[in-house]
Amino acid sequence: MTSSHLTEQQVQQLVRQGCTATDWRAVSIALSMDLQRFHHVHFFGSVVVGDLSGSHIVDEVEMRCGIYHASISNCVIGNHVRIANIGSVIANYIVEDDVVIQNVAALTATPGASFGNGVEVETINEGGGRTVTLVNDLTSQVAFVQAMMRHNGDFSKRLNELLRKHAQRSVSDRGRVGTGARLLHCGSIRNVNIGPYAYVHGARSLENGTINSCKEHTSEVGADVQAKLFVIAEGARIDSGAILDKVFVGQGVKMGKQFSAENSLFFANCEAFHGEAVALFAGPYTVTHHKSTLLIAGVFSFYNAGSGSNQSNHMYKLGPVHQGVLERGCKTGSFSYLLHENHIGPFSVVIGKHYTNMNVPNFPFSYIHEEDGVSKIIPGMNLFSVGTVRDGEKWPKRDNRKAPEKHDLIIFDVFSPYTVEKMRRGRNELLRLHETVPKDKSFVQYGGLQLSRLLLKKGAKYYSLAIDRYLHGKVLDAVLRHGKSIKQWEELLRRLKPTSDLRAPYEWTDISGLLTPRERVTALERDVASGSIGTYEEVRKRFQEMFDHYVEDEWQYVCVTYAAEYGVRPHEMTKEQATQAVQEWEKAATSLHGMILEDSKKEFGAFAHIGYGVDQSDEIAQKDFEAVRGTIDTNPVVQKLLGEGAAIAKRRDEMLRLIEVIS
Amino acid sequence: MDRVELQQRILKVIANVLKVDPKEITPTANFAFDLGADSMQSIELIAAFEEEFGIEMDEERAREVQTVEGAVDFIAGYLK
Repeated sequence: MTSSHLTEQQVQQLVRQGCTATDWRAVSIALSMDLQRFHHVHFFGSVVVGDLSGSHIVDEVEMRCGIYHASISNCVIGNHVRIANIGSVIANYIVEDDVVIQNVAALTATPGASFGNGVEVETINEGGGRTVTLVNDLTSQVAFVQAMMRHNGDFSKRLNELLRKHAQRSVSDRGRVGTGARLLHCGSIRNVNIGPYAYVHGARSLENGTINSCKEHTSEVGADVQAKLFVIAEGARIDSGAILDKVFVGQGVKMGKQFSAENSLFFANCEAFHGEAVALFAGPYTVTHHKSTLLIAGVFSFYNAGSGSNQSNHMYKLGPVHQGVLERGCKTGSFSYLLHENHIGPFSVVIGKHYTNMNVPNFPFSYIHEEDGVSKIIPGMNLFSVGTVRDGEKWPKRDNRKAPEKHDLIIFDVFSPYTVEKMRRGRNELLRLHETVPKDKSFVQYGGLQLSRLLLKKGAKYYSLAIDRYLHGKVLDAVLRHGKSIKQWEELLRRLKPTSDLRAPYEWTDISGLLTPRERVTALERDVASGSIGTYEEVRKRFQEMFDHYVEDEWQYVCVTYAAEYGVRPHEMTKEQATQAVQEWEKAATSLHGMILEDSKKEFGAFAHIGYGVDQSDEIAQKDFEAVRGTIDTNPVVQKLLGEGAAIAKRRDEMLRLIEVIS
Repeated sequence: MDRVELQQRILKVIANVLKVDPKEITPTANFAFDLGADSMQSIELIAAFEEEFGIEMDEERAREVQTVEGAVDFIAGYLK
């Protein structure tokens, strides 16, 4: 952009067009500019303007670039920009090329502003102590370790410093509106950076924040949104009256319909409508769609909140200091209530109101329900819920993120070393209880919940089935993968040898979407605390390495666990043992699959027909049901499950053939 | 064990798990509709039958059983 100061003649023309300037000598305009494109512009201080030729479609009408009815103070305006009808002023901004700013009350930046970066969000515990520092490229992993790993003071202090330093980079005397952005019909926008191609329309007020955006995945902030102290990531869409105060909105997040959030973090692909969030750590795929739902003081991920889900973090003693951890994949039913503190294992379902502090992290895939005010748990029951299967399939498909760099690192696997190890612990605990609880007792109290004695063995059996299916399945996957190109059994076994070097392969952790061996996180902790990791980028790089190692680390887990469960390491198996593994896998897979299929068929049972063919005959009710819901024979989920059932036998045969042909 | 004794023991288990009066349990009673068993109680029932008769049932098939009569037939199959 080549601009020059105005000649006397040019100044006269601008004056005739209603323009003024505090000092015309401080105004520079592109050499080739058609001055007709300035009307009623008031220049304050230094203003540099590019080539404003061209036009944009605004509100369905083609409108010329230029500056009309606007006060501009200390700004740099790029090429092909249209600015019109600015209520107060655009001050201290760099407006890049191809931007439209029209009908906006004010767009101002204060020198030294940080644009939401460095804001400290009191997440998870309203009483404090789990603060997360906002930065433009905050990831669920970094936020999680900053919030949750407070036991190591040196690590915590050093990580906080790295984040503060990183946030400092955003401090500037000028705000920025990125290339191609559009700001239309908005209220006051103060100290807000707007990323390239962002679309901000009808927002009521935005203060101290950044709307990151990119061409590949634009962000949108829409009607009546009020936000202060925030960072919004690429591809987020916030509209219809959402209210944000100290909030991070991650990539691909959708939020609106008067949702309000305070001191909360929402990572990749979250959806939040109607309800309220306070001190919420919403890991990837946290979803809350309904009114009367309050998510407070908790850590969630891959979570689905039924309408009216509620938690309390306050016992009117030392303030709102309680917290809850619902591990990945949990669901809470309509009008469920949880009393924090609690810690619930992954992929569990909570139904009813619970006035007890639950601590059952090692009973994954459980149903937690309430009966006459008593909280009860059925371990492993959610293993054969068709909903769990559907969830596992839908998340990867619903990854909205299109930005070139995906910030949050997500391992989607429902069955992973993390959940399988929890099932092993759960199974062992259930078997121990089964051995020790007297037969005349109908239940045992465990982790704040009532556990039916009859279900101890049952729960252990469910976990065993899932463990068997996972371990045998993983080993047989590897045999199939390598075996197709190998003729010698010994050579195949060499390929099955684990290459990872973990010392404690059983210990895994879920860093808000990233599943990784704990020792890798411990190494990160040590390196941050010692200063050998010296930048925020290096922290992120380390998480990326953990992500990249997942398959290798998982295989080591499978190998050591396989040996622990069945007494043989995969790379030392005989062909006979491999054949037996195929049979064991088939047994477990068929059994679990059968129960899942049975669960799906319940959707077509007698209860499912209630309310169909209202006030008419059973025959009409059946027809009405079939017209709306279809039949077992036409339902795509059931049909897919039936197909998967057939695939088990096919896969068994394929594996047996392969084992046979290798000599 | 004859069928009458088997049915008596099954009724006792049902009454105990579902907390209903044994007199209210008829052979044709549907576990869900008539006795109010939800899916969680169904699992408890299966576990209770297994314990009562010292058997391990095919759970997938056991869940298809809907009536008291059906349960008697199903369990009888394991005790032959």
